Amino acid sequence: MRKGICVIDDDEIYQKIIRKLIARAEVFERAVFYMRASDALEDLRNPETSLPDVILLDINMPGMDGWQFIELLQKSYPSLFNECAIYIVTSSIAYSDKEKLKEFSGLAGFLSKPIKVDQLIEIGKAVK
Amino acid sequence: MAQKIKNSDILSQRKPLLIGILAFLFLLLGGLFMLWQRYQILVESRQSEMESIIDVVEQNIDQSLKYSYSAALSLALQIDAEGRIENFDEVAPQLVDNNSNIDAIEIVPDGIITKVYPYEENKAAINYNILKDSTRNEEAFKAIERRRMFFGGPFELKQGGLAIVGRLPVFIKNEFWGFVAVIIDFNNLIDQSGIRELSGEKYKFQFSKINPSTAKEEFFLKDVSGINESYSEYLTFPDGEWKIYIIPVDPYQPFYTVVPVAFLMLILSGAFGWIIYNTLKQPLILEARVKEQAGELAKSELRFRTIFNQAAIGMVRVDSKTGMIQETNKRFQELIGYSEEELKLMHYLDVSHEDDIEENQKLMKKLKNNEIREYSLKKRLKQKKGDYIWVGLHVSALWKKDQEATSHIAIVEDISARVKAKQELVENEKRFRSLVENSNEVILIINNRGEAVYCSPSFKRITGYDELLCSGNDIFSLIHPEERCLLIEKLKRVRTNPGKPYSEIIMRVKTSSSSWIWVNATLTNFLEEKNIEGYIVNLRDITGKKEAELNLVKSYELVMEQNKRLLNFAYIVSHNLRSHSSNLESILELYDFEDSEKEKRNYIALLKNVSDNLNQSLHDLNEVVSINTNLDIGVEPINVSAYLDKAIEILGLQIKSKDARIINEVPGEMVVSFNSAYMESVLLNFITNALRYSHPDRQPEISIKGYKEDSNWTLEIKDNGIGIDLNKHGDKVFGLYKTFSGRQDGRGVGLFITKNQINAMGGTVEVESKPDIGTTFKVDFK
Repeated sequence: MRKGICVIDDDEIYQKIIRKLIARAEVFERAVFYMRASDALEDLRNPETSLPDVILLDINMPGMDGWQFIELLQKSYPSLFNECAIYIVTSSIAYSDKEKLKEFSGLAGFLSKPIKVDQLIEIGKAVK
Repeated sequence: MAQKIKNSDILSQRKPLLIGILAFLFLLLGGLFMLWQRYQILVESRQSEMESIIDVVEQNIDQSLKYSYSAALSLALQIDAEGRIENFDEVAPQLVDNNSNIDAIEIVPDGIITKVYPYEENKAAINYNILKDSTRNEEAFKAIERRRMFFGGPFELKQGGLAIVGRLPVFIKNEFWGFVAVIIDFNNLIDQSGIRELSGEKYKFQFSKINPSTAKEEFFLKDVSGINESYSEYLTFPDGEWKIYIIPVDPYQPFYTVVPVAFLMLILSGAFGWIIYNTLKQPLILEARVKEQAGELAKSELRFRTIFNQAAIGMVRVDSKTGMIQETNKRFQELIGYSEEELKLMHYLDVSHEDDIEENQKLMKKLKNNEIREYSLKKRLKQKKGDYIWVGLHVSALWKKDQEATSHIAIVEDISARVKAKQELVENEKRFRSLVENSNEVILIINNRGEAVYCSPSFKRITGYDELLCSGNDIFSLIHPEERCLLIEKLKRVRTNPGKPYSEIIMRVKTSSSSWIWVNATLTNFLEEKNIEGYIVNLRDITGKKEAELNLVKSYELVMEQNKRLLNFAYIVSHNLRSHSSNLESILELYDFEDSEKEKRNYIALLKNVSDNLNQSLHDLNEVVSINTNLDIGVEPINVSAYLDKAIEILGLQIKSKDARIINEVPGEMVVSFNSAYMESVLLNFITNALRYSHPDRQPEISIKGYKEDSNWTLEIKDNGIGIDLNKHGDKVFGLYKTFSGRQDGRGVGLFITKNQINAMGGTVEVESKPDIGTTFKVDFK
């Protein structure tokens, strides 16, 4: 089975870096990138697209933020956390975000920037 | 003891009873004796009455018989010697008709009735031989024998009727010839005797005769009984041997006469005996009462002695003339420490404090001179051990008024504790008064009509009022309207909980200069407490403290707000810088692993991007920090309209490229106090935002208005752009690094800086917006 990954982050430079890192990790055969969460949500809600195995999600984004994205996606996929490993990826985390983290206990994990290639390999391996 | 009294009572009671009974009996016997005599007199008088009646009757009958005799004799004289009677028919009617005593007359020669007058009534008796009739010849023979007239009968006549027959024997030449007989009707005889009239209703009567043949007494009147010698009189007529009885109809009448008197006598003697008994008893009752009172007296004497000795109060009897102590009780001995024997040898002045002697002697003199009967004095007594104690002395004279002084009694009460307490009380009072009057705390006493009964001097110092003139609810007019409800609420509780203080009632009170001061009040309900009878109000002026507190609260809020901002800022800074640093790290790592020169050059370009971004971030942060730290930034009057014109000019190119319409409605007189650079920045920022987020489907229109609201200027910037969904982003509009449009050129810094600049100048900014319709920002200047 081809493993797929989806990255949602508004940082242009990070986008470029993560593309390189995913390519180098060589565990994901399919990768999609979004600058805005609303675009990602629109695509994923489309019944023709299947959910990726992994989502790397930023919290602080203009417009729709990471939390809103999860909440809205959950409406389409009630068992979202079973079908997809969602990782929160951020450079730093505010106290309020730490509280939010507890509400979404189904999240696969929290990753602090910068992300290393080894981390991506591990994440890829963790996908069944 | 009680038993003995009872016995002697009975003994003393017996004597009067005996005398009473004796008096009764004596009187009764005397009375009965007199009654007996009275009775005898009555009986005797009756006897004599009967005797006199009988006498009269006897005379009357005798008279009748005498008449008969003379009539018979008259007729007999008509008989001649031959035994013939010629003129019977002439003589007889004369004799009979003229004499009411005689009913008939007969000639009876040789015992044979030959002639009779009146003939018709008596013709049946003609030829009747009386001598041959054995039943009645006895009397006839007796008459012949006695040669004188003899009355026979009464008996039934041959011709009928009960009658008496008087027979006069007639002798011619001493030879018995016959009889001349006179017939007297028995009833007629009784009438003639007058016995019926005389006896009346009181007496009955009876006739009797000894039957000559049977020698028995025969009674002639039927239905008359009770022949008793005791109550009847009788007499005999020698001419006829009759007996006449007179019998009282009621033989017991004299007895009955005395019976009511006897009863009266009985009652009188009984009453007399009773009076005697009671009269005699009186001294004994008095004697018993005297004895009883004597007993009571002894008892009360004992009681008073006990009281004297056992009383919890000291008592002393003093000789008023000499002043020597005569008698003391235990309590006094305990008070003074001397024994009774010791005290008996002492003068009352020996135990008095020398300072009290003068006053005591003055009062004593008045008592002795009968100017006063008693006096009270507070003095000190000297105890045996040398100490002095305060006592209350109440002295009363024991002699009668206006007589010579003998001794007096003094009641001695230990009041040393009371005196001490009173002294302490006075000192306490002084202390508390000075505390109250010098303290900064106001003390009021308000009665239940809402009137101030007491105001401590500090009231004037704090409020400026000379006195609190109020009643009823007036007092509330001095309380700030915002706190009246609180006070009323507290008052309700105070009213229902007497004695419980309610403190920490913080409120504003109006002073005489109409300013408000903050006070901390404590209310206590002492309505039921004597000497107070009101609410005690303690007021402390806490205006300074309260103002400091309010300032503190303001500062605290400010600090908290600043702190929140700082925390947010710190997070934003760290997040921002960290994202740049993590990008740098990642690029360098990738660079190291990259072999291709072309890719390596890409990474270097990327590094330049990161560096630019970092530079921009630092620039923004610097700007933010400069607003937040530069507190002494210069402020000047700014003509908003002029600055707006300048901003529109600067943005002219952008406006032109967007084909935007700018409507400037800011009045020229709109001048606000603001920093010049900030005003430029604020106006540029609002207009740039309006241009940047213009709606793609229509011509941008930016309307800028200035107007006054409550003497403060307001600037309104309205656009018809894409708008912001305030439901989603309301809290983030003015946040740092908050962008909503998704446009890459929005850095999330402009509005943050704008808001901070307005706030720093003391103004406020608000936003109203609807997606797809437009956004309006309102700036209120201070």
